[in-house]
Amino acid sequence: MTTGPALVSILRQGSYLIASIHTALDDSQMIRFQHDLIEQIGRHRSRGVIIDVAALDVVDSFGSRTLRNIAEMARLRGALTVIVGIQPDVAFAMVALGMGTGSVYTALDLEEGLAYLDSRVSKKVLGGTVIDPPQ
Amino acid sequence: MRRIVSARVADRTTADDLVQETLVRVLAATARVEPGMLEPYAIVTARNVVASMWQERDRHRRNQHRVVDLRAPEDPGTDLLAREERTAIARALERLSERERQTLLAHEVSGQDTRSLAAELGTTAGAVAAQLNRTRARLRVEYLLALERTEPPTDRCRPVLLALSSGDRRRQREVDAGRHLLECDPCARLSEPLMGRGQQRDDLTRIPIHRDGDIVAARQGARDLATRLRFSRTDLTVISTAVSEVARNIVRFAGAGEIVVELLEAPRRGIRVTARDTGPGIPDLEQALTDGYSTYHGLGLGLPGARRLMDEFAIVSEAGRGTTVTMTKWRQEG
Ligand SMILES: [Zn+2]
Repeated sequence: MTTGPALVSILRQGSYLIASIHTALDDSQMIRFQHDLIEQIGRHRSRGVIIDVAALDVVDSFGSRTLRNIAEMARLRGALTVIVGIQPDVAFAMVALGMGTGSVYTALDLEEGLAYLDSRVSKKVLGGTVIDPPQ
Repeated sequence: MRRIVSARVADRTTADDLVQETLVRVLAATARVEPGMLEPYAIVTARNVVASMWQERDRHRRNQHRVVDLRAPEDPGTDLLAREERTAIARALERLSERERQTLLAHEVSGQDTRSLAAELGTTAGAVAAQLNRTRARLRVEYLLALERTEPPTDRCRPVLLALSSGDRRRQREVDAGRHLLECDPCARLSEPLMGRGQQRDDLTRIPIHRDGDIVAARQGARDLATRLRFSRTDLTVISTAVSEVARNIVRFAGAGEIVVELLEAPRRGIRVTARDTGPGIPDLEQALTDGYSTYHGLGLGLPGARRLMDEFAIVSEAGRGTTVTMTKWRQEG
């Protein structure tokens, strides 16, 4: 995304994308991350997305809203999003702020996020077509 | 004097320190030197101060090369500069009242202590000491003004500059110094040497806010400072989240401003965040602080959210001048 140490990474794992935010992002970096992620969902025909925010020590109103927007856009593109790694203090502040992730599914960590996706997304793909759509 | 010194010392802050130090020495010497000798004395003192600083540095870091060669030939502009410096010093002294000047000289030059001065003036030693501090603060302000050959553009300027020069935080708030510096370029420029000296506070962080990246810098700065008061991890997150919201408000709706974060010791330990901008102002504060309104009108959840996160929250906004948000989080004791 930029030169220097990566701010975020987006890795493909089967029909999932695993996106990790490695450091505090400013608003325009956050928006770029959103574009990149949505673009890759289309390119890889991903069915599930995990966004790991464990490295974030602040998720403010803009951060919350962007995460919700990403999940909604991903849904419209046929992928299910799980946000993992929200720190307890961050969760507290998000609630106090009056923000949350809304209806976006969250899980404690990457492992649980993957388990959730596995339970909801069928990976049986035949000729590029998913047989069982997510319920 | 500043330019003479600046020519020899790369670092601006050091140069300003030296100017102040020199001023004090010159003042201390006024009674001992002939009236006509004051100016040359000032120049010589300035040079000596620079030279002794370099000797000290050399002792500490012998291996580094000298950035400046003190034995460099006199530059031809020196005489002119010297004359300017002389005028500035004389002007600054003139600007003091007779009583201020006499008290200062009696103390600095004749070494008369505050107690005996107090007896003469029919007041207390504490009052004399306070007056001396105010006089020194004024002298610094007048010296800089004379040196820059400026008269401050507004009535508010001198009180603001004085409050900065004396380092009196309560007074700085009373005259709303922070906002004035955002609005007044001459004072903003003069504030650098005034505040750089002796007042590098480690309990205050000031973050200019212009663009997205500054929002991240502001919340990081607030967190770093709050960490020193040993706020709980949750409170640290709450504080930096609130700072993030008010900083974004500045970027989105005002374009330019600053966030000042300071640690409080009294009445309780805590942290105060002041966010001020020079934007258009918020026409309806009541509405801006209402949840829901904001989202519709693009204000984000910024203000109501920040208010919920902090213990105290106040907002003042004036159409055409800008908005100031002040919010405080107290440290939970125990
Ligand atoms: Zn001014």
